[in-house]
Amino acid sequence: MKGLAGLALFTATLLALALPAGAQQAKPRGGKPASPAPAENPYPQRFATLCAACHGANGRTDMPGMPVLAGQHMFYAITQLFLFREGRRSNEAMTAIAKGMSDADMQGFANFIATLPPVPAPPPPTPTDAARMKKGAELAKQHKCIFCHGADFAGGQQVPRIAGQREDYLQMSLRGFKAGQRPGYTMAMGEALSQVTPEELDTLAYYAARFPGAVAAEGKAAAEGK
Amino acid sequence: MPRTMRVVSLITLFVLSALGVASAQDEPGWAKGRPKANDEAMKMAPVPSFPVPVPADQLPVKKFKLPPGFKVEVWASGVLDARGLRQGEKGNIFVSTIFVANKVYVIPEAGKHEPKTIIDNTPLATGIEFHKGSLYLATNTKIMRYDNVEANLDKLGEPTVIYDKLPGGTDHSWKYLRIRGDKLYYAVGAPCNICDPGEWAKIFSMNLDGSNVETIASGVRNTVGFDFDPKTGHLWFTDNGRDWFSEELPNDELNVVTQPGKQHFGYPFCHQGNIPDPEFGWGKSCNDFQKPAALLGPHAGSLGLKFYTGKMFPAKYQGAMFIALHGPWNRTKKYNGVYVAWPDGKGGAKVEPFMTGFVENNTYLGRPADFLVMKDGSLLVSDDHAHAIYRITYTGK
Repeated sequence: MKGLAGLALFTATLLALALPAGAQQAKPRGGKPASPAPAENPYPQRFATLCAACHGANGRTDMPGMPVLAGQHMFYAITQLFLFREGRRSNEAMTAIAKGMSDADMQGFANFIATLPPVPAPPPPTPTDAARMKKGAELAKQHKCIFCHGADFAGGQQVPRIAGQREDYLQMSLRGFKAGQRPGYTMAMGEALSQVTPEELDTLAYYAARFPGAVAAEGKAAAEGK
Repeated sequence: MPRTMRVVSLITLFVLSALGVASAQDEPGWAKGRPKANDEAMKMAPVPSFPVPVPADQLPVKKFKLPPGFKVEVWASGVLDARGLRQGEKGNIFVSTIFVANKVYVIPEAGKHEPKTIIDNTPLATGIEFHKGSLYLATNTKIMRYDNVEANLDKLGEPTVIYDKLPGGTDHSWKYLRIRGDKLYYAVGAPCNICDPGEWAKIFSMNLDGSNVETIASGVRNTVGFDFDPKTGHLWFTDNGRDWFSEELPNDELNVVTQPGKQHFGYPFCHQGNIPDPEFGWGKSCNDFQKPAALLGPHAGSLGLKFYTGKMFPAKYQGAMFIALHGPWNRTKKYNGVYVAWPDGKGGAKVEPFMTGFVENNTYLGRPADFLVMKDGSLLVSDDHAHAIYRITYTGK
């Protein structure tokens, strides 16, 4: 059932991509509009049609393994769309979706994603393991995670926000980087993880997903609506 | 070297993870020598270029500063990752790429200068040269030759692999090529920031069929720019100094090979001709190594080098070489630009900035990478950060 539903959703999103895409091809980033009234930005609607079913209208869903886009940065988002489009980062759905994107499409979607405010993670189903969190904080310090991702794990530019990201997605990503199976836009992660053991990867994923302060800080940002 | 991306070997990672090994000695090559206790140094990361080119009307050409009488314009925009520049006999301009695009493009000299991909899905498709109808391409693992390319731009066909014994890896493994006198010149950089490079860190030559590999220069950390002085025939090359020594040291070097195969330029023992390496310099003297002809600035990321062979520029520039300073990543204050150097006839050189203005608010708007002297004497400059090619002309006004 799940597979079929996924396929249907996937097909629908492909159709959604195919229809409006042509109209956007010719419009370069920052180009002057031909008419005095600037064309309405189509990407909020295209995100709602194409991306929201899996990623959530606000950039966060409960779907297992589905990355949180809320609070993500434009530069990071566009690098990932680029890697999918070029066939380097592999994910069947995303590869197919990104394949037809023009540069302007990638820019439009990335710009829109960057407008989505961080959304707090739902309360974890089990009580937070304080000892594991302590270990995670130590590892994050030891392996210099905060130097690129920031003391608040909010990232910036090409570095993604990881505070409050889904644990399963973080775990998969970290393991992928470590194994050399997930290409980064830069090689920073492969290198950063060269000294980290597989067990430590999972602890880091646990820690970042439940990052202390992430819920409060992000809740505040979400409450402010921007 | 400003590795626009810190590129650690995937192969190494595979091996490490397969063995389950993780210890301090497994740190990636670029990180060797980094002051681990210094937070400012630990924060520094190579500057990634954006995966979408800057639109033509937003390129920073109006901000560029040149000597009086020179003008610069956008020659081609939308050239993702534009790196190496070479020209065919029929006027086609070939453009290689480095970390982002994995492509080689052709741009016809006439027309709208729109890039067309002729080689795709090739990581580190960086070293290119054109010679007698053939395009040579060197990646980090092999050197290939595409014959009769200008007649087959729609479909190049399969290349002939002339050499497949390059060591691969990622630290300083991308290539730069020149052909002179039916010899192909290339380099294999040090596989790390600072280490014993073994049989590498050298400039080599080979016959055009890949045979007869000979050492031209040793002790070369990473050169991705070299050219022959048309007057003397000497090979001049830029060399990227080691990282993490300090903010201001060492300088990148401009070097000249006067005795092919016999000179050692210092790496890893001595930097910029007068600084013994704190680890590898013990028991060595900088006087035992060939001194640089000139210094190019700390962590300058000196890349492409081309002697000016055109007629358009004033007499002062005849016999001079243009040098692309890509700009540092592991230095707090950023700088870069196109520089020009004149051999002084005594083994040294005088260096001056030629085109600057690529840096604003300590951020790169563009990063020059390589050159091409056009038949009319104008100079093309590639920019792998803004993804464009500029054309410099001299009008005297």
